[in-house]
Amino acid sequence: MSYKMQRKLVLVSFLTVPVLLLLLFTYYPAVRLLYYSFTDWDGMNHSPSWLGFDNYAEIFSNPDLFGVFVHQIPYVIVGIAQNIVALLFAVILNSKMRGRNVFRVILFLPFIMNAVAVAFMFQYVFDTTTGSLNALLGLLGLDAWQQSWLGNTSIVNYSLASIGFWRFMGYNMVIYLGALQSIPADIYEAAKLDGAGRMRTLWHMTLPNMTKIIQLNMFLTLSGAIAVFDLPFVLTHGGPAGASETFVLKTVETAFQFNNFGLASAMSVVLLVLTIVVLGLQNVVLKRKEG
Amino acid sequence: MSVFALSACGKSDDAGKGGAKASETNATDNGSAQTADPAADISGTITFLTNRTDMIDKEYVDYAKRFKEKYPNADVKFEAVKDLDKDTKIRISTGDFPDVVLVPTLPASDLPKYFAPLDDLGLNDQIYFQDYKSYEGKVYGISAGATTTGIVYNKKAFADAGIASVPKTLDEFYAAAEKLKAKGIVPLASNFKDQWPLYPWASELPTSIAGNANLNNERVNTDTPYTMDGPYGQALSIVRTMFEKGYLEPDVNSTNWEQSKKDVASGKFAMYFLGNWVIPQVISSGTTSDNIGFFPMPYDNSGKSNVVLAPDWGYGVNKDSKHLATAKAFVKWMLEDSGFDKFAGFIPVLKDRSSDMPQLSEFESFSPTKIEAVADTPEATDITNKAQITKEAVVQEFVLIKDPQSILDKYNGKWAKAKKAVIK
Repeated sequence: MSYKMQRKLVLVSFLTVPVLLLLLFTYYPAVRLLYYSFTDWDGMNHSPSWLGFDNYAEIFSNPDLFGVFVHQIPYVIVGIAQNIVALLFAVILNSKMRGRNVFRVILFLPFIMNAVAVAFMFQYVFDTTTGSLNALLGLLGLDAWQQSWLGNTSIVNYSLASIGFWRFMGYNMVIYLGALQSIPADIYEAAKLDGAGRMRTLWHMTLPNMTKIIQLNMFLTLSGAIAVFDLPFVLTHGGPAGASETFVLKTVETAFQFNNFGLASAMSVVLLVLTIVVLGLQNVVLKRKEG
Repeated sequence: MSVFALSACGKSDDAGKGGAKASETNATDNGSAQTADPAADISGTITFLTNRTDMIDKEYVDYAKRFKEKYPNADVKFEAVKDLDKDTKIRISTGDFPDVVLVPTLPASDLPKYFAPLDDLGLNDQIYFQDYKSYEGKVYGISAGATTTGIVYNKKAFADAGIASVPKTLDEFYAAAEKLKAKGIVPLASNFKDQWPLYPWASELPTSIAGNANLNNERVNTDTPYTMDGPYGQALSIVRTMFEKGYLEPDVNSTNWEQSKKDVASGKFAMYFLGNWVIPQVISSGTTSDNIGFFPMPYDNSGKSNVVLAPDWGYGVNKDSKHLATAKAFVKWMLEDSGFDKFAGFIPVLKDRSSDMPQLSEFESFSPTKIEAVADTPEATDITNKAQITKEAVVQEFVLIKDPQSILDKYNGKWAKAKKAVIK
């Protein structure tokens, strides 16, 4: 057998199993999902009827389904703040300082914890009468700030988003750290020699070198905000009175409670398209800045 | 395999023929059991899918032993799932599910597709809720037990607040709540935040107020089922009044179900408006049985109440079970001999039996009129699903919003729209 043939054989044989698994568990279900989104499948019927684009029309015309995206805006805002703080911490913890490894570990640890366990834990933090947050505020004499963190419709989404901040800030920070460490050190020395202060170095040198990484983290944050589900599901069930419902929460409800898998499939497709649109927009905006 | 199917016909007059054919089972050796004894016909290993995760490796071990004593050639295995309805539906949709399951929420017309008729168990006129899981005259599911809904209360909390006797009218109820509030005891644990414990306000209480088991189903006859002076509005107004007067938890959006059981047991919280199924759970959360009482919810000032007798999950037998006779025998055994209904605090589904739970005797002493619950009609279910109405969410919104009529209007609108789409 020739070398070329052998190479081909090795490549194909190693790729076969992973590709098969990918097709079976990712692409085939995705295609089925797309098919179901055009039907009125109820999860058990073996012959659902074709609905065409009716499910999609329902999603965009029903404010209960599409309107919930409004509740997810606080996650985006908090996510942006999260990225800024992560970047700052990364810059600080990249410099020579004592105990920086300890701080890096402490900040990253929340990311390793299981999402649902974190949500349950925060239930005890945010509880109005016996929660630790209100207790802490009381101790500090800030009684006026004590309130129903998860029961006040105007702040419930921010409370939930702050849990995401706690969990993911460390993760963002570690990615920024990696990017920072790949910037060659000599350009910093040159800047220092030229007399640039810390802020100027940060703004004019560090950030421009990190645009790709910032783009990546922003995409992760935004797509996370669009698809958020675990926090409202565990902590508030979308309450109080629907104030913290999110799109994926409604999708799960539509599928499993109201037995409308066709509509829920359509909602999943809409979510995917929306994520692609957001990514595209982000690329356009950031490319303009670069250019 | 086909010989299997023959012996699994289930009729007791085939037992004689079946005895000889029982040798194909894999569970035990039948050499010694070659009698015409019907018990020998019941063979094989069956699996029962249950929601009682707390009984696995405990009470179920005893059940398996006792079932084997009655039917030496049969074995039963127990498998528990946490989210019964969804998990069972998923298993059914794969086409391969355990021999005995608790029938999930399915349209009645789907029952014959998956389940075997249970009319041959001979229990048909002896049970409550015969029609609950039936279709075209055949019974496909028999409820494991009945529950009724009312006020579960901590007797010591009532005594401490100076409540001499159990309230029989709505005014007395509010007065009792006021006394509890004055004593620093939370009068009613609504468990508002978890949403599901609010179900009695949304269905059992309106049905009781209307005195009509078909109330939920009759919604399909109108475009405005939710009216303020109708049964739904009345029931919702009671819980809203309790909220406004401070008779619920201090922050209803921050409640905790597991903790509430401990608080009702200790007397920090005084009452629950739930089914008798919660009584054993409260007792095991830290109090004694004689400290917990149960009375019908007084929803008006007439001094008499209706209560709804509702079926709990029903046993269903997989139509394609390899051991159909054994599965059916197991269902019959669970209903008649297992004592599960007593353990779970249910009212037995066999009409000639009564529960010996003291709280139920107290409940009965108020002579409430019992309304036997009926199954949801397919139209009502379809419209509710199309409108995406979660009945407990209606309660939450009605209680919290400034203008409750707007919530009724909103849901009437959703109902009418879905009704038009479903009933063509």
